[in-house]
Amino acid sequence: MNEAEAVFLFVKIWSAVGTVIALVFLTVGIDRIDEDARGAYVFRLLLIPGILFLWPLVIWRWMILETGRDRWLNRHKPPREAHFWVAVLFAVAIPAIMLLGLSQRQQWPSEFEPQQLSVEQGEIQ
Amino acid sequence: MKENAPFFVGYLKIPAKLHGFLIKVSVIIFASFVAGAFLAGASQDDPGKAGFRFDFGRQKLKGVLEANPYPLLHVISGSDRIDAGQTIMLTAQGKSGIMTDTNALNGRVVEATGVIVRRGDLDMLQVLPGQRGIKPTNEASILPASEPLGRWRLQGEICDGKCLAGAMQPGRGLAHKACANLCLLGDIPPVFVSSKPVEGEEFLMVGGADGGMLPRELYHFVGQFVEIEANVERRGDLLVVLVEAENVKVIK
Repeated sequence: MNEAEAVFLFVKIWSAVGTVIALVFLTVGIDRIDEDARGAYVFRLLLIPGILFLWPLVIWRWMILETGRDRWLNRHKPPREAHFWVAVLFAVAIPAIMLLGLSQRQQWPSEFEPQQLSVEQGEIQ
Repeated sequence: MKENAPFFVGYLKIPAKLHGFLIKVSVIIFASFVAGAFLAGASQDDPGKAGFRFDFGRQKLKGVLEANPYPLLHVISGSDRIDAGQTIMLTAQGKSGIMTDTNALNGRVVEATGVIVRRGDLDMLQVLPGQRGIKPTNEASILPASEPLGRWRLQGEICDGKCLAGAMQPGRGLAHKACANLCLLGDIPPVFVSSKPVEGEEFLMVGGADGGMLPRELYHFVGQFVEIEANVERRGDLLVVLVEAENVKVIK
């Protein structure tokens, strides 16, 4: 399995799990943790794409709210202490990624002449 | 901070002592962005002249449909832009290939209606949805036989044919790999760009060695410069290279 096939497999598994989570959350979970959603159904369809992508976050928040451990003041407090180091990291990482990309760039094989190996259709190796 | 040191507040008048500093910072930031944009642009290859030809108007072609490895139309009645005898690849709107069941129409005469996407001598017809795009007729036909051209060693790049033909600018290269793979997942015909022409053709449609669609293993190589060993066939005036993942390697 190469990288592309691994990505396909990952996306398939992620989406399959996301579909199950979306089904359970939108039919059972949302009524338990959000009283404003009770009795409202059509809008739930709009949440499906988001849940497919972010299902681990949905499970985590569902657990927090279900067990009454939510501290909403803390949740909205911005993580300011991380800003300085994130800014430094970005300032270093973005140019580094660009330079690495440029240094690894392939050269177009402009001089390569196509070669006919046989006039017969060859055997697949 | 020193007492009485000037302090910048966006919505208040700028302190006089900060004028010089702010002008220098503004000039440096502006120049950096201009230089960065120029360098990023200059490091890219010229995408060349290509794109949708809405200026040609909607094309209505009649021809024999060949379903595999990707839908082709062997034109028997062309337009002022597409000649009879030409073989043209078919695609649908967005990142989708033809939705119609083309296997059921394989070898049948159909009317295809859509817009041309063109890069040099690479043409693709983006057809309208449903029967407005591909409409079967009752006319009898014979599917042109493919002509085997032997086994070849080629260097170049596997792209998605639609972006390469000009649906995106640029429509190839490593930066375009994810987009190309999404197009290929949507069954848009892939195209191999050869380093030099093969039997006079720079662009070859790509299929799997079994005559079907591009194998999933080959998505790994899309957008990179690769060397392939594969059988080549002529279908009408279009070359098709039938590739197996084991015979593809990235050029160092």
